[in-house]
Amino acid sequence: MQAAVPAGASPDAPSTDAAQPAAFLSAQALVLGLAVAVLLVLVGYPLLWLLLGAFGLPQGFGLEHFERAFTRPQNFAALLNTLELALGAGVLSILFGVPLAWATARSDMPWRGLVHALVALSYITPPYLTALAYIILLGPDAGHFNRLLRALFGFQSGPLNIFSMPGVIFVIGIHVFAFTYFLTYSALKSVDAALEESAQMLGARPWQTTLRINLPLVAPAITGGALLAAIDSMALFGPQAIIGTPAQIVFLPTRIYATIGGYPPRWGEASALSLLLVALTVAGLALQRGYLERRSYITVGGRGVRTSTAALGAWRWPLLAFCLLLVCFSAAAPLGVLALTAVSHSWTEPLSLANLTLQHFYTALFQDQVSVRGILNSFKLATAAATLAVLIGAAVAYLDVRSNVRGRRLLDYLAILPLGLPGTVMAVGILLAFIRVPLPIYGTIAILLVAYVARFLPLATRSANATFRQIDPSLEEAGRATGASWWHAVRRILLPLARPGLLVAFLLVFIPAFGELSATILLYTGGTETIAIAIYRLNDLGQLEVVSALAIFTIAVVLALMGLISWLSGSNRALAETPPVRG
Amino acid sequence: MAFIDIVGIAKSFGGLSALLGVDLAVEEREFITLLGPSGCGKTTMLRTLAGFLTPDAGTIKVAGRLLSSPRGVLAPEQRRMGMVFQNYAVWPHMSVFENVAFGLRIGKIAHGEIAQRVGRVLAAVGLEGLQGRHPGQLSGGQQQRVALARSLVVEPTILLLDEPLSNLDAKLRERMRSELKTLQRRTGITFIHVTHDQAEAMALSDRIVVFNQGAVQQVGTPREVYERPANLFVADFMGLVNKLPGTVIAQAAGKARVRIGSQTIDAELSHGVIGALKAVTVAIRPEAIRLGAAAPDVSANVLRGRLVESAFLGNIIDHQVDVDGMLVRVQGDRRHGLATGSAVALTIPIGDCVAMRSESD
Repeated sequence: MQAAVPAGASPDAPSTDAAQPAAFLSAQALVLGLAVAVLLVLVGYPLLWLLLGAFGLPQGFGLEHFERAFTRPQNFAALLNTLELALGAGVLSILFGVPLAWATARSDMPWRGLVHALVALSYITPPYLTALAYIILLGPDAGHFNRLLRALFGFQSGPLNIFSMPGVIFVIGIHVFAFTYFLTYSALKSVDAALEESAQMLGARPWQTTLRINLPLVAPAITGGALLAAIDSMALFGPQAIIGTPAQIVFLPTRIYATIGGYPPRWGEASALSLLLVALTVAGLALQRGYLERRSYITVGGRGVRTSTAALGAWRWPLLAFCLLLVCFSAAAPLGVLALTAVSHSWTEPLSLANLTLQHFYTALFQDQVSVRGILNSFKLATAAATLAVLIGAAVAYLDVRSNVRGRRLLDYLAILPLGLPGTVMAVGILLAFIRVPLPIYGTIAILLVAYVARFLPLATRSANATFRQIDPSLEEAGRATGASWWHAVRRILLPLARPGLLVAFLLVFIPAFGELSATILLYTGGTETIAIAIYRLNDLGQLEVVSALAIFTIAVVLALMGLISWLSGSNRALAETPPVRG
Repeated sequence: MAFIDIVGIAKSFGGLSALLGVDLAVEEREFITLLGPSGCGKTTMLRTLAGFLTPDAGTIKVAGRLLSSPRGVLAPEQRRMGMVFQNYAVWPHMSVFENVAFGLRIGKIAHGEIAQRVGRVLAAVGLEGLQGRHPGQLSGGQQQRVALARSLVVEPTILLLDEPLSNLDAKLRERMRSELKTLQRRTGITFIHVTHDQAEAMALSDRIVVFNQGAVQQVGTPREVYERPANLFVADFMGLVNKLPGTVIAQAAGKARVRIGSQTIDAELSHGVIGALKAVTVAIRPEAIRLGAAAPDVSANVLRGRLVESAFLGNIIDHQVDVDGMLVRVQGDRRHGLATGSAVALTIPIGDCVAMRSESD
């Protein structure tokens, strides 16, 4: 092999091309710059308008909207209700999540895998569908469960009414308790048995070990999980509207919806209320972050942690009964009753062969115009939103992981920010931003696309970030050293290696976008209905059987895609790490 | 002008200086090793040379052509250098053949020629018959060879090697070491090699560049840096060394007479010493010292001391000798049977005593 002299390497002709920025810089700058611009327009610009709008801009400048946000009685009631809901859901999440987590993580209870999977299922079922199911189960008169109670105990009416504050807290609680469950579960799984055995060697009894070693170690995870549950509960428009509104219980998201939906829409007040909701969310997240940071000390053991298992003996059975009852309430019963309703001629009739039909599926999937359009729109929107989010998210992640561009952290933060923003708030910002010029998308399907990309971009960014971090930069550098341009190295080396991870990122955006409700409800118009809107409107019309068919269809799509993610990531962990489909 | 001309290269990362004005001239076909402890700047220098980093100051020219300056860098892919990475960076989604062919495909070489050249280079690194394998099915040593083949197949003028042997086990490392040397001689490619292993550097290099704290400490042949270290850092880094503090009592023409304890020795002055010295440290390699008094000889020093301890290390015996309260290590052959506590004379050639500035100066 002979060493070749590079072309143009004559010593007499010192080249000047080193003085210009190298070609790869411009290709890189173009691709990444574009992503940054899109990110700023989609996330930064609406948030800016939200802020401006709350101060009355562009008409004037003042604080009267904030004043009204607190002094108007309906607004104040909404604030109090929201806080009550957050507190209730947080406490409920501890009562449900911690015993379940201990049972599946540290006991020898049978069917732990089933319980774990059903918690995951209650986590990924869109909560507005759970709310619908509970109207069927716990409706004051016709609810199945109420009828059962009346038959068993001879009540005259009721006895339970889902259309109440406890009802809202319960329905939301059985969704958000998964946060506390999963955080506690992984904390318990990472306490090394040696820590407990050390206490035992020093004479501590099992209950003393639990109280003085385990509990303090996992307490930050429990608190952190409960805070996340409380934060999420405040943002869940779906159950708040579906159960709260008929009961005339108003929460901040539903109040914002009413403020904009009324005539004339009061934009400034809606912005101020949105900022109030954001402030609550941010305060909660800051607290939660503080708690979770303290969690780091239990992961010191790193991998290869050996955990002890409590042998329960006969106590296994009551614990199993408790766990099964809980997951029955949170997952099995709502899904079961939706399935049952979907195949019944009339849901109030008793179950019989004569009452069985597939007519509602036919209606939902092929006949009802809004429903059919909604399904098509949801597929289109979710596909487009996931594609765009992965493109932008990958670019932002690339900047963060692979470059030392100044300001990349800020960019990363901007891309993660929507994670903490309720869908209702994002929608208000997007409405304010695009109701006046720059992009003529108001009233078109594109505004929904903008909302979905902006809302779920964090999921794509985080997933792409994790994927890129696992790919050693020297692999691309080796390509560059072998003569490949930046783009060539990215296309031939980075992207093929990142493909499974990016596909997961795509699905992580597709799934919540497919069933999105809380932003859509503010942004859709006739013709741009989505599946969630179809469900919402058919519910208003009282067609619970068709609604159920549509709900079962939605859940089937979501579950199929979740299965795909599990398969792609080669483990069941993805199921636990996936964010919920928000209402 | 040298083939590779590095002038005043400086680079810092967020206020931390990694390189402080490095000058280096490399001739064509040389095997140069950048040697130093981790964090000394050697890898930064290599990556700047490769074009992955833009220097804050200074220039890099190859064959008279400006490649790097603070105003801009020629992209790595346009430098026609090869690079072998510490972790090999063999692409896991491509077969051995595809890995090696990558650079040729980019160069738009005809299909038939690609197959030929890949075959030839795989044979040269001893990977015949493994073309279809994927990296996951290869051992560390084989991956290393794929990485080598991949960078050699495009016939670079310069090959950059970033600690290429550090992930191999000791036996394999020694074999690859000699293969690298042979390869370099055969291809005539200029090798710039980075390592923290001084034995590896000495075994491979035509010249060694010792780095510490972002600055070049010494450039020289393995013999020069080992036997005539420029300063205490180099003396220490290149191997076991006795550092005896002393006072200069006479100094002339690159030599000095130094008082060590109550005794006096003659020593060479290290390179680059300017002006009169007072407090110095005399560096003496343990294996340069012979136990026992030789016949009086003007070219050798004699120090007297007391044997404190001897340790049998297999191929050598390691003695510790107390010389006026200082412990001197002596490593010699196995024949000595001296009793601990006995008085011994140490004979040291003047050429093996190097006087240099003490660190506190």
